[in-house]
Amino acid sequence: MSIKKTKSLTKQHSNGRSRNGSPPGAKTLANSDLRTYSIPDYRLEHPDLTVRQAIEKDKDGTERVRYEVGGNLDAPVPPIRDSKYLTKRQAVEIYRYMLLNRKMEVALENLYKQGKVVGGVYFGLGQEACSCASAYALGKDDWFAPMIRNQGALLVRGFGASDTMMQYMAKAGSPTKGRDGTSHFGDIEKRNMVSPISMLGDLIPVLSGVTLGARLQGRNIAALTWIGDGGQSTGVTYEGINFAAVQNLGLVLVVESNLWAYSTPSEMQYRVRDLAERAIGYGMPGVIVDGTDACQVYDAARDAVERAHRGEGPTLIEAKMMRMKGHAIHDAAAYVPKPMFEFWKKRDPIARFENHLVKEKKWLTAKENTELIAEIERVIEAEREIAVNSPMPTPESAEGGVFCEEGCHEIKPKYGMPKEKKGTRAGYKQTEAAVHLK
Amino acid sequence: MQLTYLEAIRQGIWEEMEQDPTVFCLGEDIGIYGGAFKVTDGFIDRFGPERVIDTPIAESAIVGAAFGASLTGMRPVAEFQFMDFIGCAFNQISNMVAKTHYLWGAPAPLVLRGPSGGYVHGGPFHSQNPEMWFVHNPGLKVICPATPYDAKGLMKAAIRDSNPCIFFEHKYLYRRIKGEVPAEDYVVPIGKANIVREGRDLSIITYAAMVHTALEAAEVLKSDGIEIEILDLRTVSPLDREAIAATVKKTNKVIILHEHSRTGGLAGEIAAIINEEAFDHLDGPIVRIAGLDSAIPFSPPQEEHYLPQIGDVVREARRLKAY
Repeated sequence: MSIKKTKSLTKQHSNGRSRNGSPPGAKTLANSDLRTYSIPDYRLEHPDLTVRQAIEKDKDGTERVRYEVGGNLDAPVPPIRDSKYLTKRQAVEIYRYMLLNRKMEVALENLYKQGKVVGGVYFGLGQEACSCASAYALGKDDWFAPMIRNQGALLVRGFGASDTMMQYMAKAGSPTKGRDGTSHFGDIEKRNMVSPISMLGDLIPVLSGVTLGARLQGRNIAALTWIGDGGQSTGVTYEGINFAAVQNLGLVLVVESNLWAYSTPSEMQYRVRDLAERAIGYGMPGVIVDGTDACQVYDAARDAVERAHRGEGPTLIEAKMMRMKGHAIHDAAAYVPKPMFEFWKKRDPIARFENHLVKEKKWLTAKENTELIAEIERVIEAEREIAVNSPMPTPESAEGGVFCEEGCHEIKPKYGMPKEKKGTRAGYKQTEAAVHLK
Repeated sequence: MQLTYLEAIRQGIWEEMEQDPTVFCLGEDIGIYGGAFKVTDGFIDRFGPERVIDTPIAESAIVGAAFGASLTGMRPVAEFQFMDFIGCAFNQISNMVAKTHYLWGAPAPLVLRGPSGGYVHGGPFHSQNPEMWFVHNPGLKVICPATPYDAKGLMKAAIRDSNPCIFFEHKYLYRRIKGEVPAEDYVVPIGKANIVREGRDLSIITYAAMVHTALEAAEVLKSDGIEIEILDLRTVSPLDREAIAATVKKTNKVIILHEHSRTGGLAGEIAAIINEEAFDHLDGPIVRIAGLDSAIPFSPPQEEHYLPQIGDVVREARRLKAY
């Protein structure tokens, strides 16, 4: 099908207005009336791509609505920014997790093609730096809750690739013993992970609550979760971030601006230019990083985690990148203009980090790199074996466990018994106050 | 000691906070103001603002934060200003909190509490009984006490439970009824119904404010020579199947009485349990007395018409006795 002619449905963007948030004809204010806010932007490039709906005409004259991309598609690829913090060992370790993340997802794709997966497979292709480097910034006692494209974070926090593989294959050996799939599992004992649910934004108040619980026990911890540019549209996202801001809780929220929410471009999701600007509205710090640059992601996440540990409150980190596959394996992402894939493929987080480590920093020789990749392949193959060999759960294992019964879990404060802060020592006396409804 | 229903709830939470430092409260206007109904009046003075947290008006955030804190071993007690507003947090409750233990084995020891119920002319958004939204959600315990004794004992049991409990406090009862509450520590077990009046002729299965409606109707019917047995469910999820079957087997005739709308209401579920457990013992049709299938209206004559009244119970009981 050849395209004869295109015409734009709208003059600028699909939402019809430029994305700077300022209304046309805003009055000029005296300097003293202007407030200024800063959103640090650590990126080394600022892609100016925009997506809009346009009508294309087929050969036979049939008109169809398609997305088209505008902007400088030939912009030079930026280098990786030197990290303020990462040592050689740490940088190589993050690189290793990113490789593991990608190879695990390749293995999952193969398992799907072999008919071994129940349902679909979700990928974080192009987002490995964001998932792995942010999780790497957490301390041992911190918490996290991954969204579907953060399967790399699970590896960083100590889960095996086989755990995720068994989830996808609905195996008895999976962390949820077959009861849920994908990255939907958790661990409140060792790895401090809250299981995600499919609804977007609901983890944000939960992670805020985790830090509230720890604070009541005398500890300031960080709790990291991610939300997409689509997910941040939900109401509970606002409620959760605002709660963290008001209570000054150690939430670290990475907003993954990956440009596509299933098939909807970010232009149809929000009007501000950068989602980090939302932080201003919550009264908390917001920063922008290149989500394909592990060093930028790590540095911003580490700053946010340290803020949380100091009890200084939440941070919003916007990481810009692109989802390099469809929503899930069934989705070929045919709605994405091809030049966008080509643009972002040149910004592949792993290829560029590899170049940074091998050629720029010389922290890894070509031989060490080859060995590392071979080691990852072996690890993934061994994990795959474990996963494939796990049996399916018995039908009866669908029963039970709805409630925590006598003795199945001991409930105790994780960070120590809260020390009683004395109030006024006011004693109990009955209330005689007026009520809302008689 | 004679306490109001509200005071019994308040005392239950207070005592649990005194003896367990992991218990804390959060909700809208619960601190210095003491809550819209004053259930947490004076709490912030005694326990401090760390443990009595005034939140933004954000029900999903309240439930989410309570759940998150519970994962670290705390025992949050979250207030809904009115239980009508629990719908704002439905996804957190239904998909996050209720499924957590079944799916990934994490206990969530939290209590979601607040005032529900009609007879106060609160209108369609301040009079609802939304317990059925949660009865159909496996993983939640749903508690609806009728007396000060049960309210305090069940509140303590809910706070000590390892599972998410939704605690419906009937606002009509808050300051209208008083009852004997012992000074010493006690709990009322969750999931156990209670015979509040013994009788031989027919059973009324009910809970919350309707227990009192049933008791008053029973007094009227006594003068007709009809002896009513009243089973107060106290917990609507999990239901006490044994107690339901036992009373039906004893009287052979049953009325199920509740405030919320008839269609999809609890009476349908109880009728099904009777069908499964005691079908052969029935000597008459299972009778439902319930709210109308509409929103609960505001104007007093309309609200009175919508909600079950003593006269409705007397009329239906006479009809069933004669069957």
